Amino acid sequence: MWADMQRSLLDAILDELIPPSEDGRIPGAGALGVAEFFPTAEAYAPDPMGAVQTILNAVSGEFVALPRDEKVAELKRVEAACGQAFETLIRLAYMGYYSRADTRPYFGVGAHPIHPTGYPVERESAALMDQLTAPVRARGKAYRDAK
Amino acid sequence: MQNEPVDVLIIGAGASGAAIAWSLLETRMRILCLEQGPRLEDRDFPSRDDDYELARYGKFSCDPNVRGLKQDYPINADDSCITPVNFNAVGGSTINFLGHWPRMKPSDFRTKSLDGVGADWPVDYETLAPFYDMNDRNTGVSGLGGNPAYPDYKPELPPIPIGKLGQTLAKGFNAMGYHWWPSDVSILSQDHDGRQACVNAGTCDLGCAAGAKGGTNFTYWPMLENAGVELRTEARVREILVDDSTGFATGVLYHGSDGQVHEQRAELVVVACNGVGTPRLLLNSTSKAFPNGLANRNGMVGKNLMFHPLTGVAGVFDEPMLGHEGPMACSILSQEFYETDPNRDFVRGYGLHSGRSTTPMTYALGGYGIDNPIPWGAEHREIMDNVYPYLAGLTVVSEDLPEEHNCVTLDPDLTDSDGIAAPKITYRLGENTRKMLRHGEEQAKEILLAAGAKKVLSKNDDKVWWRAGWHQMGTCRMGDDPETSVVNGWGRSHDVKNLFIVDGSIFPTAGAVNPTSTIQAMALYVGDSIKTNIETLFD
Ligand SMILES: Cc1cc2nc3c(=O)[nH]c(=O)nc-3n(C[C@H](O)[C@H](O)[C@H](O)COP(=O)(O)OP(=O)(O)OC[C@H]3O[C@@H](n4cnc5c(N)ncnc54)[C@H](O)[C@@H]3O)c2cc1C
Ligand code: SF4
Repeated sequence: MWADMQRSLLDAILDELIPPSEDGRIPGAGALGVAEFFPTAEAYAPDPMGAVQTILNAVSGEFVALPRDEKVAELKRVEAACGQAFETLIRLAYMGYYSRADTRPYFGVGAHPIHPTGYPVERESAALMDQLTAPVRARGKAYRDAK
Repeated sequence: MQNEPVDVLIIGAGASGAAIAWSLLETRMRILCLEQGPRLEDRDFPSRDDDYELARYGKFSCDPNVRGLKQDYPINADDSCITPVNFNAVGGSTINFLGHWPRMKPSDFRTKSLDGVGADWPVDYETLAPFYDMNDRNTGVSGLGGNPAYPDYKPELPPIPIGKLGQTLAKGFNAMGYHWWPSDVSILSQDHDGRQACVNAGTCDLGCAAGAKGGTNFTYWPMLENAGVELRTEARVREILVDDSTGFATGVLYHGSDGQVHEQRAELVVVACNGVGTPRLLLNSTSKAFPNGLANRNGMVGKNLMFHPLTGVAGVFDEPMLGHEGPMACSILSQEFYETDPNRDFVRGYGLHSGRSTTPMTYALGGYGIDNPIPWGAEHREIMDNVYPYLAGLTVVSEDLPEEHNCVTLDPDLTDSDGIAAPKITYRLGENTRKMLRHGEEQAKEILLAAGAKKVLSKNDDKVWWRAGWHQMGTCRMGDDPETSVVNGWGRSHDVKNLFIVDGSIFPTAGAVNPTSTIQAMALYVGDSIKTNIETLFD
């Protein structure tokens, strides 16, 4: 799908949009392979590949080799110059990254499809509910009559 | 093509269409429901997929303009700060609704006499109470009895868990001395009536693959079809036909699943297409007798569109709030600021809802109902790692007042896949609502801090959520005066004596609670009134 050069450039951009965590525990979007999401994203943006290409064309050829702060500055420049395409790139990068089951647990959310198992959550005991609602009940009626 | 005539023709198989069909079952009349959408099969629910969150931005978006499916109609909302959202299938918008189930309050039916705004309803809370109960029994409702914000009633099933997030916020409300209560929900907290209890999956907007949520696809429709009600799907009504000499509705023309236009005749026509779909259909139904749209002699069809404009504030806490565990919308509800208080600079009021937090993708893209992605780069990392898991939020859900300039009309150019004119929304936020939302934001901040939030995130930009036109009301209001209302006190058109409307478009005012339990209670009430008045129904 992508020429090697383009793919490494896109990966480098994606790793700046969603960077890895400092301790390396959570991978960035480039390393995770989010680039592969774009060709499948027709349902979520009118021309996903067009938007990506616009950004790839706009970014400096030196991008991959730049130090991090300069990469960020370069992306800010491109964001200002190619607003719409950049916005599409961001939205799709977020979709590609967070739609992967393996990213959800980093944020405390289950990797599993959410049905049929869901999550085990205990109902509060009647005693706890009584205790929590006691001040509300003690204040008494809280609506207006409308006769 | 013509079909055999029926006694009752209901248009729309959502919340209200299903409820009135149930009410009319005992009459033994022949009932047919035409629904433009399909039936959803188990495999259609995206929550069984690994990448389930993506569906929210595609085929299961709540926004018909995003879904763009054959059965959807586009909505031009360029002149509105809120876009209407819905679902078009058997079950209607109860497929993707969130199951929050508060009732309206006694004062909601009397805003004109109590506060000098809006309009009084021809019915009151007491009249509706038995129909709320009846509908709750058919739907399966969980909650905690004894809520001091209502006249006494008790949900049949125990409450769903309010979770860590609900418990935390409850402490904040208690510290401020404010009202709150576990939300009533049309979600099963335990197995009930052959249906399975909620598994706390948290993606109720993607349809409930467990069948625990009270969508009419799980509640009323199985009962109705067993009892012989005919449900014809992929049948989109183009227009309601009238006999120009008698002024009575005679039936409809609809586009069937075979791509052909069919005629269906009926003795009585019930419109249940939701607060945008109903005025759209009436405005599209022109004739010699009704050149400006059916039942629209006074020009009121489509006027007084009301939503529940909302905004949100979130607190960042020290511990993970586990907001993704449990039904999406409902944990606790405060009605501390619901009723009019002369010391405030607005009339009527709002509710503070503790929506649970959304899943990571939705949060990163701006939150449910909002298109505003969070920043990229280092800030992104910081927000997702150190803010998102620790969030508990409050949503300010305000009462909208009826204003004639907020309306549904027909778009001159836009059409659906059958070439039928699409609705156009003209809507701006009233000054009263704006003040209410500002007040709500300030209160919510204080409550979150009292609950222990170390930081409060609030937009303060005077904007409401865009994709929050979940509740569409007022566009064919009921009333005793034929000059100022479209239907009478029991849902019958003033102009067309065998035409009834039963969805939220008949609400004269909006209250500040999610409307579906009231919409269905009203549909049951209209059904009951039809039965009571059967001898003189068309006089
Ligand atoms: C995302 C979301 C969340 C929500 N959450 C809540 C909540 O928590 N609590 C709550 O109380 N409410 C909630 N709502 C609102 C609730 O879903 C609606 O109030 C309720 O479904 C309205 O019932 P109705 O019968 O008027 O319309 P619907 O349930 O929308 O049904 C109307 C039906 O009519 C059909 N129709 C329309 N036009 C035609 C035509 N020309 N021909 C044939 N068929 C037609 C449609 O396809 C649809 O199936 C939510 C809504 C959404 C979208
Ligand atoms: S959280 Fe409960 S009600 Fe919501 S979709 Fe899951 S099982 Fe259904």
